[in-house]
Amino acid sequence: MQLFVYILRRLLTVAVQVASILLAIFFLIRMLPADPVARLVGSFATPEIYAHTKAALHLDKPLLTQLAIYLGLFPRAVGPGLLQGDLGRSWVTSSPVSQEIWQFLPITLELITLSFVVACVLAIPMGILAALKPNGLLDRGVFSFSLFAGAQPDFWWGLIFIYFFYFVWRLAPAPLGHLAPLTVAPPVVTGFPLLDALLTGRPDVSLEALHHLMLPVVTMAFIVSGPIVKMVRQNVIRALQSNYILYARACGLSQFHIAAYTFRNAFAPTLTIIAVLYGYMWGGAVLVEQVFSLGGLGQYALRSILAFDYPAIQGVVLTITIGSLLIYLAMDILHSVADPRIVNSR
Amino acid sequence: MKKTHRAALALLVVVSLAIVAGDPSSGSPPLRQLTMLSEDIPAGLDPDGASLGLPPTQTGIVNLLDSLIEFAPGATNADGVRLLDFRKYEGRLAESWEFDRQSLTWTFHLRRGVVGCSGNTFTADDVIYSYGRAKSASGKIPLGWFEGSTAGIEGFTPEVLKKPTPLGNEVRKIDDYTVQFKQSAPPSVLFLPVFAQWAGTGIFDSRVMKAHATGSDPWSHTYSDTVNLPGFGPYCLEKWVKGSEFIVRANPRYYRGKAAIDRVVYRKVPVSANRVAAVRSGAAQLVEHLTPKQYVSLTSAPNVKVAGVFGNEVVFVHLNWKSPPFDNVKLRKAIAYAVPYDQIISTVYLNQARRWYGVMPSTYPGYHLPATQYRTNREQARRLLAEAGYPGGKGLQRFAKAFQLTYSSEFEDTLGVMATIIRASLRNIGIPVVLNPVPQTQFSTQMYSKMDVPFALENTWKAVPVDGGYTLLISATTYGCCTNYNHFANAEIDAIVKKANVEPDTAKRNQMLARAQNIMANLVNFVPIVEFKTQWAYVKSLKGITWHPNNSVKWFDLRIE
Repeated sequence: MQLFVYILRRLLTVAVQVASILLAIFFLIRMLPADPVARLVGSFATPEIYAHTKAALHLDKPLLTQLAIYLGLFPRAVGPGLLQGDLGRSWVTSSPVSQEIWQFLPITLELITLSFVVACVLAIPMGILAALKPNGLLDRGVFSFSLFAGAQPDFWWGLIFIYFFYFVWRLAPAPLGHLAPLTVAPPVVTGFPLLDALLTGRPDVSLEALHHLMLPVVTMAFIVSGPIVKMVRQNVIRALQSNYILYARACGLSQFHIAAYTFRNAFAPTLTIIAVLYGYMWGGAVLVEQVFSLGGLGQYALRSILAFDYPAIQGVVLTITIGSLLIYLAMDILHSVADPRIVNSR
Repeated sequence: MKKTHRAALALLVVVSLAIVAGDPSSGSPPLRQLTMLSEDIPAGLDPDGASLGLPPTQTGIVNLLDSLIEFAPGATNADGVRLLDFRKYEGRLAESWEFDRQSLTWTFHLRRGVVGCSGNTFTADDVIYSYGRAKSASGKIPLGWFEGSTAGIEGFTPEVLKKPTPLGNEVRKIDDYTVQFKQSAPPSVLFLPVFAQWAGTGIFDSRVMKAHATGSDPWSHTYSDTVNLPGFGPYCLEKWVKGSEFIVRANPRYYRGKAAIDRVVYRKVPVSANRVAAVRSGAAQLVEHLTPKQYVSLTSAPNVKVAGVFGNEVVFVHLNWKSPPFDNVKLRKAIAYAVPYDQIISTVYLNQARRWYGVMPSTYPGYHLPATQYRTNREQARRLLAEAGYPGGKGLQRFAKAFQLTYSSEFEDTLGVMATIIRASLRNIGIPVVLNPVPQTQFSTQMYSKMDVPFALENTWKAVPVDGGYTLLISATTYGCCTNYNHFANAEIDAIVKKANVEPDTAKRNQMLARAQNIMANLVNFVPIVEFKTQWAYVKSLKGITWHPNNSVKWFDLRIE
């Protein structure tokens, strides 16, 4: 029951946070020193065309009226808005923003999820092994790796990997997207190319998609594994040096039980860093997406920002905000399950 | 024959038949496919849509729609790129046309038997629909109206933008294969150039467009921007994943014959280095929009050809006449003499550019090499600076803000280097230049919308349609529109251009335009720097690259040998 109340309280907080961020981004982008109409009409616009386009985008109206239109307070007059679940249409492509986000988001999620799985599979055991013998050779190597990896530019490593693995050794496919140009993509079911290929009976395409994801996943896993291995190592060392572990050893508990207690206590902060990084990567994977032509949410956000496509920018910010907050909420719930003191202390 | 032998023979026959039936080479010819990579793909397909200004969108449109006429093919240059002859026209959806000077009416006789991707047959109704849509000015950016207005079609006036007006008799169906266009007096000579070379004059398949009309969108702008652009062109849209790929298939019933390339995959690969790697390895057959250095690196690749044309891509130093001290002609001339042109050509463009002396691209009809040509001469620059009242640059410090050399950071590879070279050279004679790279959107706002940038480098300006008179109309008159960013104002130029654009005699017209260009060069309306090549890199088996003034590749021109 207490957990249920805790979750409800957190959900209400999420709703308030989302509304605040939405309002902030709505006004902030309209304060930027650039004119989206000029960008759209280009260099051959007469004053009449400029005025026409400005009116078509409702930019000739007062700010509060624009906000009301965006929220959908005049559905009969100007069409649905946010309150009716409509994120508007992109000013550049005229496609519904929600449709475009639904097209690009799964590609990013597929990339970062696979990257995090690979990173965790490598980083967590590395961190634990390093922590077992602090200041040993392995520990110093792992610590150096964690500092090095976390400080690297992902796009640079992406290009290096492409040069060697694709161009020189021909071990990886050309960085032309998640499938080869002449491969017929599977029909869209979930939006996740790997899953859709499997669900539509095209395992060969699924394998090809995995092959195309190989280098981008390695690039991202390399970068995010740095902070993960550092956090695991730090927390395992702390747990192993704690009084309760000392007591457990003194009581003669088996190595297995000691490891279980250690892991449970070291896991929570590691989970936090993974959640923070995962939420950040929704938009932070843009450079890797750009280098490997993956067409994910980051690239969509970048295109929208450069084009001053207000509905698309607002839609992307809303999506990433909600996604990040829900991830943090999920982590908090997991923490609560792992450590009931978090719920009971409130 | 024994039973076992008969069974074995039967099995052999069945297996052989299966192999032959499954063998793709046994009946149909192999599919000829082209993979083309660019930094983006069409963001929309509506010729009146917001993304028309983006080159990949224009590529999509010109490959799906045909217009009534087009420029005739011309010579092939040394790189093997075919050019167009801007003095001649060829019929496309129109077979022939004539102009009646008394009634100011153009009559187009339309081609019969033209079948579009949907199976519909082309008739005059499609032309009426297309120009009704243009006049409605219902798109986000009503460029169809703008083209009609530039062509001088009666009724395509600015008033139409304030109040939606249906198409009247200015575009009239005479019968299923005859359409008339009435021009307003005096008739603009830009009518045929506009029709021949602009993405927005393509003809829609009106039946498909009408089938997708809605109450709030009677001209199907959303449909054409998000789903398909139905027309009578050489290619039909097969698949379009925005932000990823644009796939077309050859129209099997195209009136000029089915295209040599059956299927084109046009894919977005934002990083130019990846496009280079792809064409080197053969993963792609045609790539565009690389840096000069990348094109040079590809010339040594064994299976890759790099070809280009001096078309209409130019770079100039913009000087705002309304921003002191650029209102001083001697100062402008001093800058023109101080720019190190040869160093720019060799360092920035690796000799893939050439000196530009004019006020319009040298390939345009009506171009005239001005009598006044500026070559690097620092002594002359210093002398002129002193005559302007700023000996050694003394006194220019109070214009520090004006001497921020603004350019779009999107072109840091070329403009950044160029700006650095120009800064060093101008500082050498005492002009205090600082660099000011800004994001493209900010550059667009300041340069194209507010037109208040004092000093800038511009490399995306180009006049389409291809015509000297049109170029001067939009860039040098006080009554034209759009690209007179530097607020150039000269009553004599205004008068000359007005007269030239209604002068039917080409020789007389060219004389008028020559005079205008001489005046403008002498006054330094801007400092022309280079014409740089529009280039492509492609596999050697690909032939037929043709330069079109909007710099789009038309896939119908291509074939794989």
